[in-house]
Amino acid sequence: MFLSSDDVKSIAKKIIAGSNADACVVKIDGGEDYSLRFARGGATTNIATSETTVRVSSHIGGRVGSVTTASIDETALAAARARSEEIARMLPVDPDYVAPLGPQEYDASARYDDNAASLKLDTLAAQAGRVIEEGARRNVDTFGCASSTRRFEALATSNGLFAYERRSEIDLSATARNKSDTWSGWAGAHEFFGARLDAETIAARACAKAAYNVDPVDLEPGDYAVILEPVAVAELAFWVMMAMDARAADEGRSFFARPGGGALIGEKLFDEKFTIRVDPADPLAPEGGVGWEGVPHRARAFIDRGAASTLYRSRSWARKTDAEPVPAARNFIVEGGETSLDDLIRSVKRGVLVTRIWYENMVEPKSLLLTGLTRDGNFLIENGRVTAPVRNMRFNQRLGELFANIAALGKTERVWRAVGGGAAAAPPMLAEKFHFSSKSSGI
Amino acid sequence: MAPKFAPLKDAPERSAASDGGRFALDRALLDALADLALQAARRAGASYADIRLGETLKETAYAKDDRLEQFDERSTRGFGLRVLLDGSWGFYGARRLDAASVAEGVERALENARAVRPIQGRPIALEELPAHEAEWIMPMGVDPFSISTREKADLLLAISAAARDNGADFCTALLCIAREERLFASTFGARIRQTRTRVQPTFTATAIDRAAGRMASRDSLTPARGAGWEYVTGAGLLEEAALAGRQAREKLSARPVVAGDYDLILDPTNLWLTIHETVGHSTELDRVLGWEANFAGTSFVKPAMLGNLRFGSELMTIVADRSQPGALSTIGYDDDGAPASSAEFKIVEKGVFKNFQMALGQAHYIGLPGSNGCAYADSPTSFPIQRMPNISLAPNPDTCKLDDLASGVENGIYVVGAGSWSIDQQRDNFQFGGQLFYEIKNGEIGDMLRDVAYQSRTIPFWNSLDGLGDASTYHLDGTFTCGKAEPVQVAPVSHGAPLARFRNVRVLNTSGGV
Repeated sequence: MFLSSDDVKSIAKKIIAGSNADACVVKIDGGEDYSLRFARGGATTNIATSETTVRVSSHIGGRVGSVTTASIDETALAAARARSEEIARMLPVDPDYVAPLGPQEYDASARYDDNAASLKLDTLAAQAGRVIEEGARRNVDTFGCASSTRRFEALATSNGLFAYERRSEIDLSATARNKSDTWSGWAGAHEFFGARLDAETIAARACAKAAYNVDPVDLEPGDYAVILEPVAVAELAFWVMMAMDARAADEGRSFFARPGGGALIGEKLFDEKFTIRVDPADPLAPEGGVGWEGVPHRARAFIDRGAASTLYRSRSWARKTDAEPVPAARNFIVEGGETSLDDLIRSVKRGVLVTRIWYENMVEPKSLLLTGLTRDGNFLIENGRVTAPVRNMRFNQRLGELFANIAALGKTERVWRAVGGGAAAAPPMLAEKFHFSSKSSGI
Repeated sequence: MAPKFAPLKDAPERSAASDGGRFALDRALLDALADLALQAARRAGASYADIRLGETLKETAYAKDDRLEQFDERSTRGFGLRVLLDGSWGFYGARRLDAASVAEGVERALENARAVRPIQGRPIALEELPAHEAEWIMPMGVDPFSISTREKADLLLAISAAARDNGADFCTALLCIAREERLFASTFGARIRQTRTRVQPTFTATAIDRAAGRMASRDSLTPARGAGWEYVTGAGLLEEAALAGRQAREKLSARPVVAGDYDLILDPTNLWLTIHETVGHSTELDRVLGWEANFAGTSFVKPAMLGNLRFGSELMTIVADRSQPGALSTIGYDDDGAPASSAEFKIVEKGVFKNFQMALGQAHYIGLPGSNGCAYADSPTSFPIQRMPNISLAPNPDTCKLDDLASGVENGIYVVGAGSWSIDQQRDNFQFGGQLFYEIKNGEIGDMLRDVAYQSRTIPFWNSLDGLGDASTYHLDGTFTCGKAEPVQVAPVSHGAPLARFRNVRVLNTSGGV
C-alpha cells in the first residue's frame, strides 16, 4: 500500500505516544510492485503486489528490541510495540548503545514520478512487446523482465526525527539468443522516471548483440586488454563500495585496512582516473536523502581520484572511534571521461569487449580478489574493430589491480540495476591485463 | 490438451505432530477467503485459479564479539492469487487478510491477465493435479519461537566468546528462525494446510595477523535444518566455536597451496553446495525452457539428454525427495498442491541423467504427463515457480570411510566446509572454495593448507568421481537462501552427501596464481 507522508506520520505518532520505552523508533515502508517476465517471445509469469511494513524498535536501558508487522491495524501495531518492549527488557545491555537521532536536515532527492499509471502492468507489457517484436524482426529469441515499483520509506523517532521519502522505479532487461542457441546478447535500463526508459533502444541493442550465427572465437585463458561496458563497471565498483566499511578496515579485516592498524583513508590505492561519488542531488543516479539509522546522505566521494576518501561507518562505531557516522550507499556514480565507446574500441589493438558479468563472488576480501564470468555478449576487438563473438570466460581478478590500471574511461551513463537494487551510473572502461582464468561453454 | 496427472499415493492426512506442531491461523477465515477468491475467479471465466494464504514468522538475532547488535521479530500475513484467463496468467498479492482485499485481488489478478494477453504468445497450458484435502504439520521437538529472547541472545554471545577465547580476534554469530503457515486452495479442489519451521544457527570466527596484514576466517559447519530448538541446543555450537577459533588462528600460518591438479576428497559440508549448483540448478526444467534465461540462466542439460546423458560416473546417484527428516525442502505438498510422493525420484541414476525437476504447467513441453512436485513460492505474495526439493548424493552401499578414500590418493587435498562459490549461467564452469583444507600425501591426510579454490566443469568433474563414502559419512547440509527468478525469490533447500573423491581437479592458489 502506498501511503502519504501525513498517513505515515499519523501512524508513527500513535505508536510513539503509546511507548513505555526510553526511546522508540518507527520505520514504515511499503508500496506497489509490478513485474512481468517473458521467454521465447511470450509471457510467462507476472505479479502485482501491495505491501506495508512497520518496524517498531524500543530502546530500554541501553537495549533495543525490534518487531516488524505487515499490518497497520491499531491492535497489531500496539501488539508489535508491546512485544518490542518485552524483547528489549530481556536482552543484555549493549556496550556500544547509541540513542536514536533527533531532527535532521536532509538533502532533496528527485526520485519520484507522479505519473504512477506509467508503472502498471499494461505499460510493462507494451515495453516487453517492443523487445519481442524486435526479436522477431532480427530472427532471435527474446527473454526478459520488466518491473516497476512506487515505494515510500519513513523514519520517526521519539527524539523528534521524522523523515519521509518516496521513489518510483522502472526497469527493463532483455536477453536475446540466436535460433541455434549458440550466442546471446543483453541490454537493460533502470530509471526513476518511467518516461525516460527507452524500450526501443534496449530491444535493438540486445537483439543486435545476439544476431550472430557464427561459431564464437575460443580464446585461451590469460591476461587481456578489456573494455568493460558501463553495467559491468558498475557491478565491479559495487563490490568495492561494499568493502568500504570502516569497522572492517579498523579491525584489519578488509582491503582498506592499513597493515599494523587503522584504515587506508587518504591513501592512493587506485588509478587517478577512478572516482566513486554519492550524491542525493545527482541528475543521473541520485542517492536518497535519508541513510541507514537516519544519518543523512551527503554529496561525497568514497574514492576520490584514486584515494579512499570516505568509509561508511555505523553510528555506534563512529562514536567508539570518535569519527563521523557515514551511511552506506546503494546509489552511486563512477566518474567517467569524454571518450566514446567507439573511440575506446578504436584504441585497442587486441582485446575483449565485455557486455556484462555474472555470478561474481569475493574469493579473498583482503585482496579484493573477485571471481565471476562474462555473459551475454563478449566480442573480440582486433586493430580497433569488433571482429567476432568470443566464448565466455571466468575471471579471477583483484579489483585493486583492475582499478589501479585504468587505461581510459568513456562517458558515464545510467546503467541497469534490478528494481530495488539502487541506481548506478558508470562509464565504459578500458583496462589492461584483465585476468581470465578458464573457459566457459556457457551461453 | 495435456494428459491428466497420474494418480499418486497421498501424503498422510496429518503427520505425527509433536510439541510445537500447530496450525495457528484462523482456519474459518482462511477458508472463507479462499472460497471467495476461487468462486469469483471462476465466475469471471478463469479456467484455473489458486490461492496461497498465510503467515511467515521470522526471528533474527545477530551478535558481534561482545555485543548483541540486533534482535528482530517479523510477521507477514497475506495472500497471493493466481488466475489463468484465456491462456494468460494474472497474479495479485497483498500483505493483508481480509475479504475486501481478497475481492480486490481477484479483480486485479484478472486485470493483470488481460494486460499481458497482447504479448502472451503460446497460451499457458496446465495438466490437472489430483485434488487433496489435507493437513501437514512438520514434526519437531521444541518450538523455537517458544524459547526466550534472553536464552537466544546468551547463546549467540557465548558462541562468540568461545571462538574469541580460543584464538579468534572477532566472531559474528547469527540465529535465524522461520515458520511458514499456509493454506493452499485451487479450483482443482485442493485444500491443504501446512506448517513448517526451520532454524539456522551460524557463526564466523576471524583471526588477524596485523603485522602481516593477513586474515583468516572459519565459518560454522552447522547446517540450517527444518527442525525445532532441540536441534540448536544439540548441535554442539559452543564446542564448534572454540574449535573454529583455533582453526582460524591455525589458518593464518598454514602453508599456501601450490596451484595444480589434485585429487580431491570433498567433505559433505563442502560437496552439498557443489551438488546444489551443478546438479540442482542444471536439471530445473524452467531453466531448460528458457524461463530463467534473462536472470538465473539456462542449462547445458537439454531435453534430448533425458535418459542418455552420462552426467557422472557409475557411483553418482542423485535423489530428489521431500521426506528426509530435518531437511529444508521436506513438506507434505508443494506450492501447486502436488503431494510429496510425486517428488521422490532420481535425477541421476548410476551416472545417467534421468529426470528434470518440474512444477505445474511445464511437463507437457517435453512430452511428459505432469509435475513432479517441485513448486515453491517464498511468500504468499510470490508467484510459485519451480524450486528444488531436497537433492542429495546417495551414499555407497559398501563400506567406505575417509581413510579408505585417502589411501588411494598420492597427491590430494581434503576440503571441508563451503566457501566462495561461482558458476556460469548454464551451470558448467564452476569455482568453489572451502573452510578448511588438508594436504593428502601418499594416502595420509596431513597438514593444513590455505588459499585453496577448485575449478572445473560439471560433466568432467562428476565423471571423475571414483570414490564414495558409505552412509556413516553421510551429512545433510543446506541453505535458507537459494535465489532465483525476477523479482528474486529465496528458497530453503537441503542437500545430503557422503564423502566423495574426485580425480585430477584443477586447484588455484587464491593468494598467488589465479
